[in-house]
Amino acid sequence: MVWRERAGHNTRAGDDARVADSKGDRMQRPDWAPETIDIERPSVARMYDYYLGGSHNFAADRAAAQAMVAAVPEAPLMAQANRAFLRRAVHHLAEAGIRQFLDIGSGIPTVGNVHEIAQRLDPESRVVYVDVDPVAVAHSREILAGNDRAVVVQEDLRHPEKILTHPDVRKLLDLDQPVAVMIVAVLHFVSDEDRPSELLRTLREALAPGSYLVLSQASDDGRSQDERAEAERVYRRTDNPLWVRSRAELTALFDGFELLDPGVVWVPQWRPDTPESAEDAERAVFMGGVGRLGG
Amino acid sequence: MAESPGATTCPGTFARAWAKAVSGTSYLPMTQAQLETLLHRLTGQLAGALLAEPFDLRAGHRVGAELVAAHIASAEGLGRTVEVIQLRLIRDLGLVAEEVEDRLARLLAAVATGYARALRDRTLDEQESIRRAAMMARTQAERALRASEARFRHQATHDPLTGLPNRTLFTERLTAALNEPGRGAQRVGVCFLDLDRFKVVNDTLGHQAGDRLLITVAERLCQTVGEHLVARLGGDEFVILVERSGGTDDMVAVAEAALAAVRTPALVDGHELQVSASIGIVERQVAGANPSDLMRAADSTLHWAKSAGGASWALYDAERNRRELARYALSAAIPAALERGEFYLDYQPLTSLRDGRLIGVEALVRWRHPELGVLRPDSFIGLAEETGLIVQLGGWVLAEACREAEAWSAGGTAAPFVSVNLAVRQVHRPGLVQEVRALLRQTGLPPERLQLEITESTMMSTAKEPVRALRVLADLGVRIAIDDFGTGYSNLAYLRDLPVTELKVAGEFVAGLRSPSVGRTDERILASLVSLAHALDLTVTAEGVETAGQAERLRAIGCDAAQGWHFGRPAPADRILARIR
Repeated sequence: MVWRERAGHNTRAGDDARVADSKGDRMQRPDWAPETIDIERPSVARMYDYYLGGSHNFAADRAAAQAMVAAVPEAPLMAQANRAFLRRAVHHLAEAGIRQFLDIGSGIPTVGNVHEIAQRLDPESRVVYVDVDPVAVAHSREILAGNDRAVVVQEDLRHPEKILTHPDVRKLLDLDQPVAVMIVAVLHFVSDEDRPSELLRTLREALAPGSYLVLSQASDDGRSQDERAEAERVYRRTDNPLWVRSRAELTALFDGFELLDPGVVWVPQWRPDTPESAEDAERAVFMGGVGRLGG
Repeated sequence: MAESPGATTCPGTFARAWAKAVSGTSYLPMTQAQLETLLHRLTGQLAGALLAEPFDLRAGHRVGAELVAAHIASAEGLGRTVEVIQLRLIRDLGLVAEEVEDRLARLLAAVATGYARALRDRTLDEQESIRRAAMMARTQAERALRASEARFRHQATHDPLTGLPNRTLFTERLTAALNEPGRGAQRVGVCFLDLDRFKVVNDTLGHQAGDRLLITVAERLCQTVGEHLVARLGGDEFVILVERSGGTDDMVAVAEAALAAVRTPALVDGHELQVSASIGIVERQVAGANPSDLMRAADSTLHWAKSAGGASWALYDAERNRRELARYALSAAIPAALERGEFYLDYQPLTSLRDGRLIGVEALVRWRHPELGVLRPDSFIGLAEETGLIVQLGGWVLAEACREAEAWSAGGTAAPFVSVNLAVRQVHRPGLVQEVRALLRQTGLPPERLQLEITESTMMSTAKEPVRALRVLADLGVRIAIDDFGTGYSNLAYLRDLPVTELKVAGEFVAGLRSPSVGRTDERILASLVSLAHALDLTVTAEGVETAGQAERLRAIGCDAAQGWHFGRPAPADRILARIR
């Protein structure tokens, strides 16, 4: 299933042959090793841009995305549904008074970015984007040039402590005030071994009461084994194998937060603009929800 | 043209249908209501264009471009837009006009054209922007790579404790300085610095204090002579590279500044440490110099400074170095020379001053060196003592002397004893007694025909073992002589404990007997020594007797025996023995 960005450590080329059960031994670039930029290797961030109708992508990204669409024809719809969920969630939180956003796994800054939505409601809103993909970060930096209330930081969701202590994050965000943490369409690239619940706990413990968590990721409810295997095959060409999770697992990840209505649902069902837009919601593959930190 | 009267005009219905048609064709960053509002406005523009006079296609272009700007920007989005306009626009809005069908076809073409143009521009812009981002990311990555390479390089070329350049960097810089084109005529120099007795700091205050002292020294050196490369080679060794030296005076100035910097007391862990350093200076022309020779020279020079007592510098001296190298080569050759039988013994007579009889001979080792010819002991015994080879060499001399001396008794007359020098290390070595016993047994030499000469300094050690060994040997009947008496320790206490038979008085007292003025004092000293020896029941042999006059005065003093050129130069045994046969 799918995608939003995050991640390509686009460090290794030509290991398309990585075997199906290699999720566990996903190689990582050690911190001290400089990264290299290889646009011949598909990036999940740019594939996501392609699904959304953007042209911020290269041939390798498009080939991978097209293969994905061949396997799962709804893929573009799913990306769009997820993006719409992000838009509605940000809009809702901004209306609820949130003025600080931390968007982790923000990817290629395609249309409808968090800062566009939030700063339209209040120009004072501050937004920090975080992504591990150096090209996505460079692109974001260009888009955000001249906006002193939005910044991008190159960091990995799997190192929340580094995100929280990053000087740019500390400069722009006041963690004593509520922050909306967005982890949208990226957690399916984090394996169980990387302990997503601990990552979330680290983030939660740094947040002030009244903060929010916006979470969505690919879910395998209602998918056939074939579709799932095909999607996983496509994403093995990137550096980011998929880790789909059930509704129960996702709900558990909101530990410590009070889930807003309607809870963890297929993303089109989360506070839809119109009743029709929530139809056939399970085709969206993504499940998500919004939780509030009480206290 | 005008709307047909009575027709139901409903742009809202059309806009809703349009919105429905395009939603889902690409991501639209707006709500359905916002989308409908937008399309409602565009519907008005389309309707206006259809009815306007004159007909203006640019309105169609604008609508197409606005759709793309609103992110309704996909092939599907265009297809459905064309479809919904074609099927519903005229009907839903109840438009009536002449040639309206023709106009609609041309308007649609204009919308599609404007749309395609805008989409193409947008696609190109986005492609450009993502490529630029990739390029920026690549530049960033390359910069990070260079930064990390620089970091690795820094770690590889600097000492982590003091932050100074390390041996690697120093060697690089020295090599570069020597190989720089066109510098042949210029001069280069190094000061090789080592703290004096640094080990004591480590041992007494701990390694942490030692490390802090090194950091302090490093800082001081940088402050004082930092215009030159200051490197830490390891331990407490530092080196200062003067890439452009104006001569030895320049180097001495640098060395003295460095010594002064080190000498200033350093506060470490509340202790005020006063340390000193030694420096070896090498300064030479760039042409013909190479880094390893230069550093070897600096190392030797540092050792000269150290062995001269430290807290100072020494300047490299090629002649001295050559001598030392030769000495080193010589000492290294001793074991092989022993094996090849290159050593042999000459003997010098010890003559009785009472009756002129040959009472003994002193064995003197000679080295028949294959290249250097016959070498006298003063050119290699000192080396052998330093390196410890003296034990092996001295053992050979002792054995050879015993073997040869045994044969001398064949003549029947009272054969002379053989006197053999024992080095300090030989006397202090356990097993001396067994060695001598075994030799006497093997050769059959009577113990009283062996005399062992030891120096006063041999007895300076407080160890009991040598005294006991000598006493055992004396009990066997072996004679014990004190060599060079009066020039060294001259502590008479050991004469109480030692079973000494004889004192050999150093030649320098005897030399004084030649000149009447100095001779007076020497003669008194000699006379006192003789009477002291006799009082202790010891005999006295004077060394270095070269003239008949000296011999006469010694006899008058009461000296028992004499040795020296006057009585015979060292010679092979058979030539000496020929005199008594």
